[in-house]
Amino acid sequence: MRRRWAAVSAVALGALALLPLATPREDILNFVFLVLLGITLAESWNIVAGYAGQVNLGHAAFFGLGALLTRRLWTTGTPIVAAMLAGAVLATGFAVVIGVAAFRLRGAYFAIGTLALGEILRTTVSNVLPEISTLPAASIAAYRLTDRYYAALVLAAVTVAAVAALASSRLGLGMRAIREDEEAAAASGVGALRLKLAALALSTGLAGLAGGLFAYYHISYYASHPFGPQWTFDALLMTYIGGVGTLHGPLLGAVLYVVLKEYLAVRWVDLHLLIFGALFVAIVLLLPGGLVQAAARVRRLLRRRR
Amino acid sequence: MAGRPVATPLLALHGVEAAHGDVRAVSDVSLSVAAGEMVALLGPNGAGKSTLLACAAGLLRPRAGTIRFDGEDIAGVSAHRIVDLGLALVPEGRRLFGGMTVDENLELGAFAPRARAGAAAALERVFALFPVLAERRRQPVGTLSGGQQQMVAVGRALMTNPRLLMLDEPSLGIAPRLVTAIFEAVVAINRAGVGILLVEQNVHAALSLAHRGYVLENGRIVGEGSGAGLLGDPHVRRAYLGPLAVRE
Amino acid sequence: MMILAQQLLLGVLIGGLYGLAAAGLSLVFGVMRVLDVAHGELIMLGGYGTFWLVTLLGVDPFLALGLVIPGALALGVALYWGLFAFVVRADEATRVKNSLLIGFGLALALHALAVRLWTADERSVPTPYGGAVFTVAGLSIPAVRLLSLVLAFALILSLQLLLTRWRWGKAIRATAEDWQAALLTGIDVRRAYLLAFALGTALAGAAGTLVTIGYAVSPSIGLEWTLKALIVVVLAGLGSMPGTFVGGLVLGVAEAASAAAFGGPYREVVGLVIFVVVLVVRPRGLFGR
Repeated sequence: MRRRWAAVSAVALGALALLPLATPREDILNFVFLVLLGITLAESWNIVAGYAGQVNLGHAAFFGLGALLTRRLWTTGTPIVAAMLAGAVLATGFAVVIGVAAFRLRGAYFAIGTLALGEILRTTVSNVLPEISTLPAASIAAYRLTDRYYAALVLAAVTVAAVAALASSRLGLGMRAIREDEEAAAASGVGALRLKLAALALSTGLAGLAGGLFAYYHISYYASHPFGPQWTFDALLMTYIGGVGTLHGPLLGAVLYVVLKEYLAVRWVDLHLLIFGALFVAIVLLLPGGLVQAAARVRRLLRRRR
Repeated sequence: MAGRPVATPLLALHGVEAAHGDVRAVSDVSLSVAAGEMVALLGPNGAGKSTLLACAAGLLRPRAGTIRFDGEDIAGVSAHRIVDLGLALVPEGRRLFGGMTVDENLELGAFAPRARAGAAAALERVFALFPVLAERRRQPVGTLSGGQQQMVAVGRALMTNPRLLMLDEPSLGIAPRLVTAIFEAVVAINRAGVGILLVEQNVHAALSLAHRGYVLENGRIVGEGSGAGLLGDPHVRRAYLGPLAVRE
Repeated sequence: MMILAQQLLLGVLIGGLYGLAAAGLSLVFGVMRVLDVAHGELIMLGGYGTFWLVTLLGVDPFLALGLVIPGALALGVALYWGLFAFVVRADEATRVKNSLLIGFGLALALHALAVRLWTADERSVPTPYGGAVFTVAGLSIPAVRLLSLVLAFALILSLQLLLTRWRWGKAIRATAEDWQAALLTGIDVRRAYLLAFALGTALAGAAGTLVTIGYAVSPSIGLEWTLKALIVVVLAGLGSMPGTFVGGLVLGVAEAASAAAFGGPYREVVGLVIFVVVLVVRPRGLFGR
């Protein structure tokens, strides 16, 4: 089973790597870029939700912080990779600092607390940096979409690999134990807070890198835009629709989300959110495991037919 | 008092099996309470007594077996409907509505349709049983002593106009002086025709007052008999009445 | 000095609406342990409902309350039966999490629906007496906003009366304290949930009406007002409607004070900061039990 997935992943990765050579069409590359960014955001969000069991509604804050620092460093001469890493470090550092206080909150309180934190950052940034951040003319002239595309591909692959490694590691199992039953886990000596902080660090670090990617990709945007709650909500939607706590769930959810959004964007711009909202509610109520659970049920059904 | 042959029991549990989560708490328990009878249910902590009462009251659905009240199958019926049939529970730990006064707590007891009409009269009866509450009608229940709170809890259940009243450890954590008052009230309630199923740690008191009793250990009934009979039973004496037995 | 006093006064005027908005959320969360993050969207719908009533039917905006409240009650019943009745079947921890998620999906859908029906522009509702201003001790008090504050207070008072005098109001309070004990007292807890949710939605609708009359409505006020309501609920704590109203006033004044001290844009931030601090330091709030 493992080997089959590894093979499929290798093929998919290879195909995606060759895509820019196969077609020069920018719209396709942009589309796939969005899918890859979505995968990164969703998989990184899933680490805290699926493995540590907490709903983090402030994910966008770390996305934004990564974008902020990356943009600042890169436009003043730092090579993009170093700038992105710096952004990730900032995001992770901030996360760990507030995480100690934030994890004192449970369940819903953690969720709304992180939401508030995200909004605080967004409002502050939009007040302190209200201007649009635009790349200097030279960078615009030298802009190559394929660079961004490969960056996104690498980041998405790294993210998925990281989550896969986490899932089967001792760290991941410990996190899963906390998610199932925090009291029992604490009783058995698992350092709950440290594990949660580790999950948060990994999650926000990846989100910070995604933010750096955002800064690398967009020519101009409002500095506070990546701090907006819609980035968190997108990650949430993708993860739950695909299946929270699974490896493939956020991936499937991201693909479905971006595809559906692009398909509907042309004529029914507002409807896509309406559909997702309804779909989300249906999934929470009827199919909490998302598409992954649905796929498993279908597979079981087919097996029984035989 | 010698055991009498019981006609149609008002409350009858048969082969009841119940669990708390994954842990099986009660296995194959059968017991009955006739109208107007006082029955004691005894046993060590964790034996499953509270679980059994919770099943009868409708707070917990039994995994197997039947629970009949006045011939009607009530297993799985919603708790508030069971109250309206005439089966009430005074839960362990009082569980009063702390933000409300004595009056308000008692008044809420008459919420069910069967209790609405006679609410005023029932309130008088409660104050007759527990005169100390009449003086404290307007006080928030949080300011009362443990014993007085227990009186409110019993009173509130009495307001539901029950035909059978179940009590889960009414003497727990209460000063001995007030315990006597509460037991006297329970006896008075029983004499007025209300059946009683009493879970009690104070084994001696419970068996002296009850017509019959059951002993529950590890989720199973291990003994049954009249009140006096059980008081004389050697196993009961050793386990629950001897010098090594856990006392309140 | 006068400017500060004027700002604080305006803060009090909107603070009353914050309190009203929070009251509905507090009721629902306190009774059912359901965190309806679509509450702000319900406020928004109340606002748009008012907008329609005024612009299409010519109803006086304040009288529109008489139509919006029953309408919102009905909507609350429908939403409970359609969505939240399923949520309350689970245990408390799951319930809170699921309600958070479902509320989120609902908010998304309602927001998109609003954009579709009314566009993303701001709408306001004109009143013939709209420009009237009382001048007291050198401070100007917009008549419309003052009336809104009075109505908000009256609604909270009515709610308090309902909860303390009405049989089912007491049942709702009992359920909020201990739902199992409530069941044992013969209270149909499911019905208590339904009533609490319907009342909460009605309060949201009323808040929406008053917000639209005194200020404006747009699809984006949903998230904004959900946050305001959350802040006040956490600040005031659960279990006291008058306390929640006071909490709203406190937030309104705090916002005004911070705007006066640090400038307009930081108005939003102070509420959020208060929120986070209270959550971490004193989770049960100022008046909670």
